[in-house]
Amino acid sequence: MIADGGVALSVSDLHTTLAFRDRSVDVVRGVSFSVRRGETLALVGESGCGKTMTALSIMRLLPDPPARLTGGQILLDGRDIRSLPESAMRSLRGEAISMVFQEPLTALDPVFSIGEQLVELIRAHRKVSKQTARNLAVEILKEVQIPSAETRMRDYPHQLSGGMRQRVMIAMALVLDPSVLVADEPTTALDVTIQAQILDLIKTEQEQRQLGVLLITHNLAVVSRVARRVAVMYAGEIVEEAPTQQLFDNPKHPYTQGLLRSLPSASDERHYLYSIPGRVPDPRALPPACLYAPRCPFAVDRCWEEHPRLVGRDTGPLLRCWNPQPFSRIEEIERSEEQRQAATAE
Amino acid sequence: MLRYLGRRSAYMALIVLLSSVAIFYSLRFAPGDPTGVTLNPLTAREAREAYREHLGLNRPVYEQYLIYVGRLVHGDLGTSLVNGSSNLELLQFYGRNSLVLGLTALALSYLVAIPLGILAAVKRNKWPDQLAMGGAILGMGIPNFWLALILVYFFSLNLNLLPAAGCCSPNQLILPAIVLAAEGTAVTTRMVRSSMLEQLRQDYVRTLRAQGLPEWRVVGRHVLRNALIPVISLSGLRLGWLIGYALIVETIFRWPGAGFLLVDSVIRRDYPVAQFFSLVLVFFVVMANWLADISYGLANPVVRRA
Amino acid sequence: MSTISRRRQEWERQVALAQAARPSRLRLAWQELSSNKLALVGFVIVLLYCLVALLGPVLAPNYATQVLNDARLAPLTPGHLLGTDDLGRDMLSRLVLGVRISIAVGLGTTAIALLVGTVAGMIMGYYRGWVDTIVNGFVEMVWGFPLILIAVLMVGALGPGLVGVVLAVGLINWAGFARIIRGEVLVLREREFIASARALGTGNTAIMVKHLLPNVIGPALVMGSYYVAVAIIVEAGLSFIGMGAQEPLPSLGKMVADGRGYMLVDHWISTVPGLAIVLLVLGLNVLGDGLRDIFDPRLRER
Repeated sequence: MIADGGVALSVSDLHTTLAFRDRSVDVVRGVSFSVRRGETLALVGESGCGKTMTALSIMRLLPDPPARLTGGQILLDGRDIRSLPESAMRSLRGEAISMVFQEPLTALDPVFSIGEQLVELIRAHRKVSKQTARNLAVEILKEVQIPSAETRMRDYPHQLSGGMRQRVMIAMALVLDPSVLVADEPTTALDVTIQAQILDLIKTEQEQRQLGVLLITHNLAVVSRVARRVAVMYAGEIVEEAPTQQLFDNPKHPYTQGLLRSLPSASDERHYLYSIPGRVPDPRALPPACLYAPRCPFAVDRCWEEHPRLVGRDTGPLLRCWNPQPFSRIEEIERSEEQRQAATAE
Repeated sequence: MLRYLGRRSAYMALIVLLSSVAIFYSLRFAPGDPTGVTLNPLTAREAREAYREHLGLNRPVYEQYLIYVGRLVHGDLGTSLVNGSSNLELLQFYGRNSLVLGLTALALSYLVAIPLGILAAVKRNKWPDQLAMGGAILGMGIPNFWLALILVYFFSLNLNLLPAAGCCSPNQLILPAIVLAAEGTAVTTRMVRSSMLEQLRQDYVRTLRAQGLPEWRVVGRHVLRNALIPVISLSGLRLGWLIGYALIVETIFRWPGAGFLLVDSVIRRDYPVAQFFSLVLVFFVVMANWLADISYGLANPVVRRA
Repeated sequence: MSTISRRRQEWERQVALAQAARPSRLRLAWQELSSNKLALVGFVIVLLYCLVALLGPVLAPNYATQVLNDARLAPLTPGHLLGTDDLGRDMLSRLVLGVRISIAVGLGTTAIALLVGTVAGMIMGYYRGWVDTIVNGFVEMVWGFPLILIAVLMVGALGPGLVGVVLAVGLINWAGFARIIRGEVLVLREREFIASARALGTGNTAIMVKHLLPNVIGPALVMGSYYVAVAIIVEAGLSFIGMGAQEPLPSLGKMVADGRGYMLVDHWISTVPGLAIVLLVLGLNVLGDGLRDIFDPRLRER
């Protein structure tokens, strides 16, 4: 397909609505980003911020009802996939764009062996014999470093360890050589040591196949290990996007700063763990302008009057904020807060 | 798997044993005895006493039980006090009829319930679902004897299409089989539907769709196979209920099956027949549960490979 | 007041409003039940039947077993609102008494089975060990047994009559409850709130009654509704074939049987009690479904 550097997945102004008993709520509001081949874009945010919904919207796997894709454009390898009929979309899934989910035990059918599931997947998209499909399956299992792949084919999901199951999921996602891989919290359910292995596997596969990877996670450590660019999501919107190192070194959005600040660090002299005050807004009663304003230490009048837009150059960092402050200011605020609490305690 | 089977089998054997004791004792517990039925009421006291002695009815109950077990082991299954036929002969005739009726009802119920349940689940809350569920609730609510009465009223008395009683032509099988199958069909339909819905909510369904598998494969192969597992494990219970209801249905339609015979022999205090056929039915219930357990073990790979 | 504080107050008020709209658990349960129209109908039906059963003789104008020879097979007349049967007895009175019997048998046996089963299930699930193994052995043995078979044998042992039926139902149904309660207790006892209660020194019985019972009783009540229906059907069925209630008790099943011979002449004699049973059982089943939707939101199919 397109040579290194081409855009594999392009999402513009995506809107997804969730219908409740008495009202509808936008859970994805105007999200835009692109993923290039051979590059990993991390989509970061707390639970409930809409990142999984975004992924499902792209795959067009939304549970309808109650969720519906209501606006925006999705281009896969330059092709519009949003307006495709379902049958056409179905043949793209697994073949041009694949998804890996969070909990591998429940994500695999327990009554079929992994070999059977792999073969079925292959033959659903390609007209090959059972034997050819089986060979392909064994190959891909070897590629994701599953020992004794041949015999493993007959194993059932419950007989494999968590890490192995996730490797199988990845194998299934990659066997048909897609352009894009969407990974929704692929390591959250795994042990820490296994997490690193899986992430490295994804990275290796990405380099070999020039995959575009959309990595969804709430874990910033994961991000720093594999992603080239990071987009931070809050309440259904992207609030900041930048190359990984730049984001970690110089976060601009107060939310991003808060997230980074709340990472525990061994080198800290802090006596407590920082957490962002307040809670994610209730979709039934959203703040009138900037959605982060109620929790933001730098909020000014404009933040409560006008909804900030995402600004920045195409290849540069993007930011959605009226009053960004340098990272060091958070530390100052923290310190004065600490002093105040110490004072009232006495 | 083997350990699982071994445990179930030991259980079953224990149940059969305990049941035989319970049946034996309970029948002898009641007032009256077979001599009241089998002998002419004008028989002299001494003759009646002699007959009781002959039947061993004056011995302590546990002794009677042991004698009974002894005879069973040697192949002597007992003889009817009413008409003298051996239990074996009775089993061959009545047992066969029950099997015919029972298997027909069973086949009927699953052949209807499974497709209907699937349809209801797939078209959830639309009219096929509402209709199927409405029918199921009715099927559960209408007692089988009343259903029998109504069907007989319409098909036999009014329309004269089907016979109201007797055995053993296919025509005579239709109504009893329908009545017997009704309740089980209703319950199984609901079970299949809820099991399907439960499976459709599972994560693996989303994975399969994300892999681009056609919907008919996702539902027809994966969801269905998972959904049928609890249905299989409950089939033993269903069969047990079928056997229970058969007692009533056979009596209503005068279908000469084991259930009919059991009810009849209990009324007449024909001990040997009542005992034997109770035991046979208990054995069947136990067998059915045992087979259901095995099938469940085979169908569920988590148990199979344990 | 600055823009921020004003806007902020406005917004916080909106949030409070949205949060306050969330009703309490009891209200939610009631809302659930009343929105499920079918279940509500079932509830009302069952309630009506219970009322009839309670008021019994007060509603039955004519003594149900009084034979009026000159009024046999009479159709609906002011004196006999539902006509008379083949022996000239008033159908309405008999119906009311029949309902009484059905409700008594159904509710009575199920109440006892619920009590015994709950106690057994809680003890098994909570203490586990050898108590669990032994009692559960009984439960597993009894649970799969067809009620009707046992009832027939009971009748064989005790002679025809309601006693045999009631005993049989009681002997079997408790196992169903025990099973469910045991399962729920086994899961719940691992939760933290039990461990914390124990850490606070709460006695075992207190834990079982105060903490476990309210949480496990829900599924049991759901089963209870179905079990009452089963008990009623079994009793009616056995009475129908002559092994249950005997003369002059007007069990609904027996009434249907009595009218069997007259189907072509006056089907009313069988139809009325038959419909009475069907309506009651339907109401119970539908109520059971509604209760299930309330107590087990996981199973709720939205």
